[in-house]
Amino acid sequence: MKKYLIIIQKSLKSESAYHSAAITGMTSSLLTYLIQIFLWHALLGAGTQNHTNFSEMLIYVLVNTVMIELTKGNVANMIEASMIDGSISVELLRPISYKLFTLANLFGKNVYNAVIRALPIITISFFLIQFNSLPDLTHLALFIMSASLGIMLMFEITYFVGLFAFWIQRCWFLSWYLSGFLIFFGGTKIPIWFYPKSLAQLSYLLPFRYITFEPINFFLCKTTVEDAFWPLFIAIFWLALLCIFDRFVWRFALKKLCINGG
Amino acid sequence: MSYIVVDHLCKEYRIAQTEKGFSGAIKSLFHRKYTVKKAVNNISFVIEKGESVGYIGPNGAGKSTTIKMLSGILIPSSGTITVGGIIPYNERKENAKHIGVVFGQRSQLYWDLPLSDTLDLYKYLYPIPYTSFKKNCDFYIELFGLNEFMHQPVRQLSLGQKMKANIAIALLHEPDILYLDEPTIGLDLTSKKIVRDSLKTINKLKQTTIILTTHDMDDIEAVCDRLILIDQGEKLFDGSLREFRTKYDDGLIFKLEFEKGAAPIWQNDCAFEIIDQNDHQWIIGVPPTHSSKEAMIELINRFDPINLYVSEKSIEEIVRKIYSSVHLEDT
Repeated sequence: MKKYLIIIQKSLKSESAYHSAAITGMTSSLLTYLIQIFLWHALLGAGTQNHTNFSEMLIYVLVNTVMIELTKGNVANMIEASMIDGSISVELLRPISYKLFTLANLFGKNVYNAVIRALPIITISFFLIQFNSLPDLTHLALFIMSASLGIMLMFEITYFVGLFAFWIQRCWFLSWYLSGFLIFFGGTKIPIWFYPKSLAQLSYLLPFRYITFEPINFFLCKTTVEDAFWPLFIAIFWLALLCIFDRFVWRFALKKLCINGG
Repeated sequence: MSYIVVDHLCKEYRIAQTEKGFSGAIKSLFHRKYTVKKAVNNISFVIEKGESVGYIGPNGAGKSTTIKMLSGILIPSSGTITVGGIIPYNERKENAKHIGVVFGQRSQLYWDLPLSDTLDLYKYLYPIPYTSFKKNCDFYIELFGLNEFMHQPVRQLSLGQKMKANIAIALLHEPDILYLDEPTIGLDLTSKKIVRDSLKTINKLKQTTIILTTHDMDDIEAVCDRLILIDQGEKLFDGSLREFRTKYDDGLIFKLEFEKGAAPIWQNDCAFEIIDQNDHQWIIGVPPTHSSKEAMIELINRFDPINLYVSEKSIEEIVRKIYSSVHLEDT
């Protein structure tokens, strides 16, 4: 396990080499956050909608932003790029799991970016969030469990989808569809609380709502302790299912591997 | 049983054929034709522990594909490979612990971090016990002179520095085998010499088996005891450098020097072949049917040079001739 922690550490350090990228990243996340909170302020004002007030929406946007930053990654594009320039050969030469190496690398970068981009928005949120919107210790523990599963689930989905790059090689559209599904069925821009019933029902059949939406439900105490089992169990179920699938796909992917250029 | 056993190894690729023009591109969207290219075609050889083998061939001969199959990255279409009792492509991670690989055109180093960070990473990747790590680090830092650029970001290093660092990285965990795919590509003469000398030292000192692909025959002469020559995926020769010379060598090289601008006119009835010439120097190939004494007397009598030098044909010259004769046969 230590080797993967070192990969995370090196990747984080590597990401921190460019200061201007950090500053622009910080500015863009701040602007995106401001747009979202102004929008929700305009929609909700001082009242509530579907039992949700402005302070809860601030938390919703904040947690979503941090978790999306933590799980951001385009494994398909990474595989595509390393297949095109042949650098995948170097990655496969190491005595480690390709999946964990890829995800550890990604996570290292994401941790750095999440810290950089979350800092200003957490600072702003500190002045705007009402303290009664924050969870008790039980819900906080459930949130941490659910969010950890959500992060793993998002990585698992990204990796699983990314493996198809071995077949189709040019695969920019995979991540495009994936982020579309995440926004739509995962409720990362508009919470599923506001969805029509049929669409909300549909979201239960897919893994996306367990990435950020269900953790936020725990954070905001919208899921009670009695109802905590199912969201956690289903997230674990999806994780296990995708793990089995990706092992299967990986075996075939290696057979398809074609390394370009000498 | 030999350490590396390659038996009837084949690797085929399907290559999509696109027809010419816009209509061809549209057509290929619905119906695509494929051709099969045999990158490696029925190659067999065995290599013992501690050998240093040059694996050579022209561009597209199948050298890199073979190295990638040996190192477990690519799966053969047919045939088998065992390396130290392991089938590399079935046990990629286990195989990786026993091998070091250097690709001349790819780097294993963190681009934005100093070399010391990559060294640190590799300590945990394999994992290497602290005492061996320290000992090997000191050894390679000394051998390749890594200290002078140890703390500079890799992106600021020269090609030669990066190559030395890549070789050191590949050897840190004391692998049994070192695969090198064109390790001297793009290096200056001094860096080439350092790399070659170091590889020879590592082979002799640590008994590391070396398999080297290159287009620079000086690499082969400096590092390898044995040569495997392939072309178009097939093996053409497998033996020692001496056997290679005996089999393919077709004589000696004579260099004749004249006063500047005063080279005589070449006489076509001469039994030798003129390979290269300018206004004061000729390079002449003498076939093995003539002794060097006969050739020397004839050349001095006919052309009266100021100086005359005799040398064996270089491996490069011999290989060039083999490549061109093989391709002539094809056409």
